[in-house]
Amino acid sequence: MNSIMESIQSNRVWFCLDCGKCSSVCPITRHMVDGYSSPRLLVETAIGNGEDEILEDPLLWTCLTCKRCSEICPSVVHFSEFIQDVRELARGQNHSGECTHSGMIQTWSRMMVDPEMRQNRLGWVEEGLRVSTESDTLYFVGCLPYYDAAFEKLNIEGVSIANAALKILNHLGIEPVVLEDERCCGHDQFWQGDMDTFRGLAEVNLGNIMDTEAKRIITTCPECAWTLKHTYPDTIGDSGMEVLHLTELLAESDLSGIIPGNQDSSIQKVTYQDPCRLGRYSGVYEAPRDLIMGLGYEIREMDHNRKASLCCGTSCWSSCGQVNKKNQVERLREAKSTGADLLITACQKCQIHLKCAQSGPVLEGELQIDIRDLTTLIADHL
Amino acid sequence: MDSKIILFTCNWNAYSGLEAAGTERMSYSPMVYPIRLSCLGRITPGIILKAFEKGADGVYLLGCSESECHYQTGSHQVEEVYLESQNLLTLLGYGKNQLQLDFIPTGDGASFVEKVENFVNGIQDLQSDK
Ligand code: SF4
Ligand code: SF4
Repeated sequence: MNSIMESIQSNRVWFCLDCGKCSSVCPITRHMVDGYSSPRLLVETAIGNGEDEILEDPLLWTCLTCKRCSEICPSVVHFSEFIQDVRELARGQNHSGECTHSGMIQTWSRMMVDPEMRQNRLGWVEEGLRVSTESDTLYFVGCLPYYDAAFEKLNIEGVSIANAALKILNHLGIEPVVLEDERCCGHDQFWQGDMDTFRGLAEVNLGNIMDTEAKRIITTCPECAWTLKHTYPDTIGDSGMEVLHLTELLAESDLSGIIPGNQDSSIQKVTYQDPCRLGRYSGVYEAPRDLIMGLGYEIREMDHNRKASLCCGTSCWSSCGQVNKKNQVERLREAKSTGADLLITACQKCQIHLKCAQSGPVLEGELQIDIRDLTTLIADHL
Repeated sequence: MDSKIILFTCNWNAYSGLEAAGTERMSYSPMVYPIRLSCLGRITPGIILKAFEKGADGVYLLGCSESECHYQTGSHQVEEVYLESQNLLTLLGYGKNQLQLDFIPTGDGASFVEKVENFVNGIQDLQSDK
């Protein structure tokens, strides 16, 4: 990206000047407390006041790139992509968003750029589960082992998701390759405009992936799936491999006789959180729902579902504050009001963010609902 | 071989130990870079990882024992951070002894020097093994 004008044109954001339709649904705009901005106002600043002022816009670093705006946009504006471009430009002038968790996650990602780094990341594979070095399927694990270590206190499902995925794949007769030195996919670095780190990570990953005999890549993280499938080919190179989120693979597999129905009578009604990268980005809405119903659960939809789904509230491990918490509280209340016994997601970050919101002492009881990843739930039925 | 070692001390037992070592003219390795915090409870895994990202070969956390913590919960907090950071560093391929947590009695220069030197030696052994 060379200039803001180029981005304004390629992403069609000049349409916003006459519009403002999405201001009412943008999860950031709706809850803004200190200062005010909206997609339309941000574009107005960019066009009217120029590059420097846009760096001060409250939406620039807080936008979740959740594509809620794109879903209702009458003018096919690529607003998330515009934000990504501007962040890349802003980075060039040493501006950046505020990292959460003391920048821990950004730091470990930057450390992984070093091609000489040798991690010790395969300790999670449970005994009895099978991986191989020759399979035509590669399971891209993502940051699960790291999240497990970093968010132990939130009682999240981390490597248990990876083990569940292996268990399911093994049941389908697949013994996937897992990379000994897989790096963070770089999703967050890309969307935060940190292209140096993104490229570094992507190059090491692509090299490692190409060294295997795999023809397709399976992920349990919607962000990894989107990044490997679209961002790598668009920016650094195409592995030529098919990339699927596990739910997509399962939707096209014959599961009859493999996955029996619901045996746990304590859970009957469930609700489902569409992760933005799986739903609005990849268009995968029905596959996870079919799987859930296939397991014998009744789905109670939240008011905002599928294209209109509400975001888990935080993105790229940055800019987490009041606004994000309000989104999470709103989402958890919505989940509870369905009367469901369980909230299912298909993205570990949704789970981390929503469980974090539940851990706050004030609303503790009010927001309590069990949260599980679809992968581990399916594995429980095997 | 030169190493770079970051020593985080709290403002109390550990720092008074460092000062005592200074006034008693005791010497310790010049490869150690002390950084004083009010309390080790301020430390986070992000800060520890950052030190390694910037090229530290070892990070040593030196503070007060749980019963002597000036802020009551600091020693307990740093213990949690230490364990979490150990797990992250293991994943990143670092050895367990590259991050250590310990405490000394207040104003004890000899104990300060002994512990710091032990830590430095451990890091140096690790580097010569490579
Ligand atoms: S992104 Fe689309 S809906 Fe939103 S203000 Fe711009 S033109 Fe209108
Ligand atoms: S991508 Fe999401 S957070 Fe960003 S402007 Fe659009 S609706 Fe708002």
